[in-house]
Amino acid sequence: MEGEPFERRLSRADLLRLAALAAGAGVVAGPAAAADAAVARLTQESGRLQVMDWAGYGNDGGQAMFAAYVHQHPQNKPQFTHMTSESNALGQIHSGAHPDLFRPYVGWVKYFAKSGLVQPWNPSLIPNFKHLNKFMVKAGQFNGKQYGIPDDWGFDSILYRKDKVHAKEQSWSLLFDSRYKGKIAWFDDLEMITIAGLYLHAKNPWNQTSAELSRSVTFLKSKKHLARLIWASEADLDQAFAQGDVWIAYAWPNDWVQMKAKKLPVVYMHPKEKPIAWVGMFMLLKGTPRPHLAHAYVNAWSSKKSGKWLEDNYGYGHANVQARPQSSQLLRALQLTNPKAVTLPNAYLDRDIPQRAQYAQLWEEVKRA
Amino acid sequence: MAAPVPRRRRRPRLATPALLGLPLGWLVVFLLVPVAIVALYSVDVLSLFPGPHSFALGGWYRLFHQGYMSLFWKSAKMSLIVSALVVATAYPLAYFLALSGTRRKYVLLLLLIAPFLTSYLLRVLAWKVILGDQGVINSFLSSVGLHPLSFLLYSRFAVMIVLGYVWLPFVALPIFVTLDTLDRRLLEAASDLYASRLQAFVRVTLPLSMPGVVAAFLFVFIPTVGEFVTPSLVGGTSGYMYGNQIVDLFQQGFPDWETGATLALFLIAVISVLTFVFVRFLRLGEARVA
Repeated sequence: MEGEPFERRLSRADLLRLAALAAGAGVVAGPAAAADAAVARLTQESGRLQVMDWAGYGNDGGQAMFAAYVHQHPQNKPQFTHMTSESNALGQIHSGAHPDLFRPYVGWVKYFAKSGLVQPWNPSLIPNFKHLNKFMVKAGQFNGKQYGIPDDWGFDSILYRKDKVHAKEQSWSLLFDSRYKGKIAWFDDLEMITIAGLYLHAKNPWNQTSAELSRSVTFLKSKKHLARLIWASEADLDQAFAQGDVWIAYAWPNDWVQMKAKKLPVVYMHPKEKPIAWVGMFMLLKGTPRPHLAHAYVNAWSSKKSGKWLEDNYGYGHANVQARPQSSQLLRALQLTNPKAVTLPNAYLDRDIPQRAQYAQLWEEVKRA
Repeated sequence: MAAPVPRRRRRPRLATPALLGLPLGWLVVFLLVPVAIVALYSVDVLSLFPGPHSFALGGWYRLFHQGYMSLFWKSAKMSLIVSALVVATAYPLAYFLALSGTRRKYVLLLLLIAPFLTSYLLRVLAWKVILGDQGVINSFLSSVGLHPLSFLLYSRFAVMIVLGYVWLPFVALPIFVTLDTLDRRLLEAASDLYASRLQAFVRVTLPLSMPGVVAAFLFVFIPTVGEFVTPSLVGGTSGYMYGNQIVDLFQQGFPDWETGATLALFLIAVISVLTFVFVRFLRLGEARVA
């Protein structure tokens, strides 16, 4: 059905209830009110909205992002479960978890869209959709349908202490610089293979050939002894960086904000090979019983107010192009006035990895080497 | 006339199964069934992803051919060192508490287990403050003009010292219990037979406390060989252990439940065999002492 892609069929009971409501309302207030009442009844979805999201984005700090939703739907407050990675979310969903919506990042949109686990959104039910960055909106599409609604975004790049580190050049090479052995932190994700591919000039770092993959993995193994930490939790990285245990780290903009707040002299690099940009994408699970509530939740997240809050408090960009942070430094660092900040020539937007399972196996091989 | 023999009250036949039913049921539902499910995942009879799949030994092949075994040996070595050192440290402590005759032994025992009153995570994180480059130890070294030690944190050393600290009370308790229930008359007899205190310890106390020592050793070895929280917090690149690999296979990068389940099952098998061997060794030891 055009404009209403939800897998929701009317049962006989629904039809009877609808007819009764329409008739009742029609008698009282005329045909227009009858139609409104019918729609309202149909969209009255029961139960609490089930959201699977990352730590820090639910009732553990991210309440401001969906405050408008809670205000509008006090009877259907969101209930959160955590995902620690997209892989973890995939495992949870396949083994029985059924949230109404969850939030992987842009590199997984194609995978989930093809998996049959999710369904497209109906942008006409998200009034704030028109304010979202067009490039990010396009990145959330698959086969012309809007599977992902963009929300937070940022870069993967290098954070370093300018009082301790003298970078020879603005390059990903700083993560592999032997002068700083024991003071470097890598990120615990298969994306390290993509970064090695970028650094070693693989033709397509997201889809490397066998020879290129072998070269990237050998390179990472040979440089692993330089890294003191391979961080999986941002809190661990921030603690290690703040305490001076590491001076150079693969990091996100929020880490830069956190270290600036601690008055550390830090630089957030723009490597010559280009940073990788990421965008969070809300995805709607197939067969969810609360599609309208899910749309309302995403609409709340997509507002200018929520976007500004996210930028001010988390140091990430927000897909709503009207949102502007208080900090002019963050505005410049994220190039928030540049709608093409996440794409070339500024950065590579993260994308689908066709050989994801193989990349994952190889990254594990690097870690246990 | 002979007095009537009092009739013995017969124990209901169902008493034993009823008493054993709950713990056995618990064991079956929460141990054997999950292990069986893990085993089915390891041979791809069960699979995370829908679609055709059948019995396969790919996970087991990868276990023995893709570097997982060397990671297992590394973890086992770390765990063995931790277990041995912690038992060696805890034994004198338990010996003092049990045999010194102090009236405050239970107060001291309570102090020993006091760290358990705080969360595990907090105890591990506290070590970061102690071992970091600007932590308590390195700050002291710097203040006296010495070079700070970078191996203290994010290293195998850090993992082992934190694991040792965390598990010390678990080790001290079973040794204490064994020593506390030791028949003191045996020590008096040894003394009467002109055994020195060292001889009495080596020939009487130590053999009789071996069940506690072995239990304590297993109490540390079993959980630490599959440990993943402590290495992920203080282990850094070099402290990565077998348990971390299992977790990562299940939820990092792309889920590989087949290999993850294989690694988990292998760990269970090794621990079961080791436990069996230790218990056999213990029984042989007891027989010799008797």
